[in-house]
Amino acid sequence: MSSHHSPDSAAAHSEPTGLWHRPLKKTGWVGFLTTVDHKKIGIAYALGALFFLLVGGVEALIIRLQLMVPENELISARLYNQLFTMHGTTMIFLAVMPLSAAFFNYIMPLQIGARDVAFPRMNALGLWCFLLGGILINMSWFFDQGAPAIGWFAYAPLTDRQFSPDIGTDFWIMGLQILGIASLVGAFNFITTILNMRAPGLSMMRLPVFTWMTLITSFLIILAFPAITIALVELMFDRHFGTYFFNVDGGGKPILWQHLFWIFGHPEVYILILPAMGIISEVIPVFSRKTLFGYPLIIFSGAVIGFLGFAVWSHHMFTTGLGIVATTAFAFLTMLIAIPTGVKIFNWIGTMWGGRLRFTTPMLYAVGFIWMFMMGGFTGIMHSSPPVDAQQQDTYFVVAHFHYVLIGGSIFALLCGIHYWFPKVSGRIMDETWGKINFYTVFVGFNIAFFPMHILGMTGMPRRTHTYKEEMGWAEPNFWATIGALMLGFGILSCIIQMIYSYYKGAKSPNDPWGGRTLEWATASPPKEYNFAYTPVIHARDQVWEDRHGTPEKRMDKIAPDPEHGIHMPDQSWWPLITSFGIFFACLGIVFFRYEFTFFGSLSYTNGIGLLVVGLVVTLVGIVKWALEGPGGYHLYPDAEDMEEIRQSQSKN
Amino acid sequence: MSKRILPIWAGLMFLVMLISIPQCTFSGDGRWFNIEGQQSALDPKGPIAQNQADIFYLILWVTLFLFITVGGALALAMWRFRERKGDDPNYIPPQSHGHPLIEVGLVVASAALLVVIAIPTFGGIILKKQVPVHLEADAIEVNVTGYQWWWGFEYTEHGFYTANEIVFPAGRAVKLNLHANDVIHSFWLPKLAGKVDLIPGQVNTMWIKADEPGYFWGQCAEFCGDSHAYMLFRAIALPEDEWNEWLERQQRETIVGNGDYAPVKEDIEDRELVLKGAELYAQHCARCHSVDSRLQTMGPNLAHFGSRTSIASGWMENEPEELHRWLKEPHKVKPGNFMWYGFPDPSDPSRVQMEGLKDADLSDSEVDALVAYLYTLQ
Repeated sequence: MSSHHSPDSAAAHSEPTGLWHRPLKKTGWVGFLTTVDHKKIGIAYALGALFFLLVGGVEALIIRLQLMVPENELISARLYNQLFTMHGTTMIFLAVMPLSAAFFNYIMPLQIGARDVAFPRMNALGLWCFLLGGILINMSWFFDQGAPAIGWFAYAPLTDRQFSPDIGTDFWIMGLQILGIASLVGAFNFITTILNMRAPGLSMMRLPVFTWMTLITSFLIILAFPAITIALVELMFDRHFGTYFFNVDGGGKPILWQHLFWIFGHPEVYILILPAMGIISEVIPVFSRKTLFGYPLIIFSGAVIGFLGFAVWSHHMFTTGLGIVATTAFAFLTMLIAIPTGVKIFNWIGTMWGGRLRFTTPMLYAVGFIWMFMMGGFTGIMHSSPPVDAQQQDTYFVVAHFHYVLIGGSIFALLCGIHYWFPKVSGRIMDETWGKINFYTVFVGFNIAFFPMHILGMTGMPRRTHTYKEEMGWAEPNFWATIGALMLGFGILSCIIQMIYSYYKGAKSPNDPWGGRTLEWATASPPKEYNFAYTPVIHARDQVWEDRHGTPEKRMDKIAPDPEHGIHMPDQSWWPLITSFGIFFACLGIVFFRYEFTFFGSLSYTNGIGLLVVGLVVTLVGIVKWALEGPGGYHLYPDAEDMEEIRQSQSKN
Repeated sequence: MSKRILPIWAGLMFLVMLISIPQCTFSGDGRWFNIEGQQSALDPKGPIAQNQADIFYLILWVTLFLFITVGGALALAMWRFRERKGDDPNYIPPQSHGHPLIEVGLVVASAALLVVIAIPTFGGIILKKQVPVHLEADAIEVNVTGYQWWWGFEYTEHGFYTANEIVFPAGRAVKLNLHANDVIHSFWLPKLAGKVDLIPGQVNTMWIKADEPGYFWGQCAEFCGDSHAYMLFRAIALPEDEWNEWLERQQRETIVGNGDYAPVKEDIEDRELVLKGAELYAQHCARCHSVDSRLQTMGPNLAHFGSRTSIASGWMENEPEELHRWLKEPHKVKPGNFMWYGFPDPSDPSRVQMEGLKDADLSDSEVDALVAYLYTLQ
């Protein structure tokens, strides 16, 4: 592989390193901190998300140990409340969403035959904002009153300074704001990439389902996140500047928070599950050796779920005293969502029907997903009915329901995706026996942990309670739930250990170990920096499958790069990292706005405003320099092996 | 070895599941499914809870039917089309892209099943919101207020307050007006009527009815801060004559009054101890806890404390040893409670507006005096 710099940006490359010049080093710390490669960013997203998955998992296990026996005093009520707040926040914003983003980043450009995403530097900004946002939220543990104890839903007025004077709540507010930036820049980037950078011939109705779900999810993020951003700004103003958005004493309305939160919060649920459905729709056809049954209907129902997701938020608020008309309307709309969701399940079964099923580890997770998601869907239909919800709301029944869709759904699908795409990312395959042992542990542990919670909920155990009395009769299901949670935790940990082991010691994998159907399997494992040496010209929906089994006119054409110009690649940059640190310090300044530090027993105020100004200046400088620096770019030339492959395919046609 | 370890492990795991899931349908004391537990929604004792349980069972049957048919198809597909030993690894099954008739048919079928659920749902929504006409005439009305972390009940028609135990006549509708003093709480009485939230700045309403006299447990269902888990209450449905007697008793004075906290009750064993308790009460308790049932102050009204069945907002039974523990170390019973730590100043939560028992440093004998005094308030 030879490298040559584009003449149009040759001036920018006169100095090889240094902060004020474009970094060129691809390895080491500089390479890592300035990377714009979607593959490296995707891997960094995944590592960050898996780390936070473990953090959130440990929090969950402490919660379960506290509830193992009645009237347990393992941890204090306040710590318990902090743990469930942080568990929810961590799992949603720091584990499942970024793990999905990892797949968007790594897989989606490969599936559409692109060299990178549309805005490579913005992609890096998203990564750093995610990591710094996660750090900001978790920093609260190290301050005197500790993490927030407000629940991940943070209902006003409990979040008011009067009831939660702790700094943890401020960390939570500003941390979520930074994470919002991460999600939004990612979403804009993916939409632009999918709409503009598809390979020639890859029309929308030929897009792989995972890429379709990436597109729909990105639109959901763009439409949903502004609502929570506004709500968080209002809350910040209430806490710092004494405004009255949610404070009743000044004429505010606590219910306003719930509307703003859930008009974000319900689409958020689909932001968590649609990527999972995309992964499942990729894996099942591959291991059934059949094309996806009802492709247009699957895409359409994904879009319908996205639309309806914005019309059902008040089903989280059936007990808040809405009127009859509103309650009924939201109940019926919620029931409607069961139809597109059911359609997907029917079509997955339709795909398997008449196929030749190979139960590899990814396929086991995919089928496990269908079973568990079905259970979670059915309990969802139960509390779509307000009279039933009047009993189930805020009980363990709801806890069981959403863990069935979020673990049995999202996490199973993400584990499925990890096993499925691991050979593509690392060039090594994960051991099947070990993988299946993990699957059975996770599957069984999950069911033992969460099935009993249906019973707990129907027999009256409320959520978010630090303990319970023995005479309530909840001891036995709680005991088994804890055993199951420990098994589940053990299984997930074993999965992660297996990943690390396979990365270094796993068996070498060919480019396409599974008999894949989509474009990512046409390139090398791991893909070269430029993804594809050629420009693929697409003639069919399952292009790689058609190349192997289809008729000649459906085979992919490969256009070799211009021998003079080569392949144009984006330049690295320091500015995404610097901008994200600017945002981080600005947010930290707002957190410390009203905080009093105690140094050696004497009180001293922090200069929150100073930090805020410094942060804003850094952000501004970062953005201006980023703009002035320009996209840059350099040219690469495919190596001889790749050129040979292109020549062969051209001579065949 | 490694070939055999997988089926052994998988079998072991499913064995664990087969043992544990039936096991957890028993409650600790051997009752199956705990269906009659204190807060079970599956043991309805009033018309609304009955309606809610009926709809739950209807949906349960519908979804079970779906689970069996859809799950059955999935299980069949998994079995029939699995790759068997000796199969040609290069076999390519017929590539069907879909079947419009099947797809549309399934959409229509699932929509039809939803209609089955939707109709009774609509009925249930209306029932929970509106007291039926035939129950309207002899309905009573109670104002419920949620505080961190206890419940205040105001009987508006008779003008008195009580706390943490709501008493009402069986067979009559009780209209509840729900208020919140600080943060959002949720009034949940599983055996009678499900739950409705208490939200500051707005008044929600619900109604309950117990078919027979009975003793029910309820709990706050919305996370409301440190002691959310300890915010319970009891609901007592009385026969008509006992209800009238209770009403009459609640409106009686229990103390001498005019600054004198001595009880009006005559037959007291240790009058000296009780009078010492009255003195301590005036000193440490009276600013927050009114013993006049017509007056609501910051803490639960204690005018008829001696006749209640539970203490500490339903967390403990009303017994002398429990009461002693509660008064001596309330923070160990209910974390973060204001009786111990004092009320924070709303404008500056780091300061205390009113001192708590933490600063009173009550001795065991002083607590005994308070206990003796409180039981004279009947």
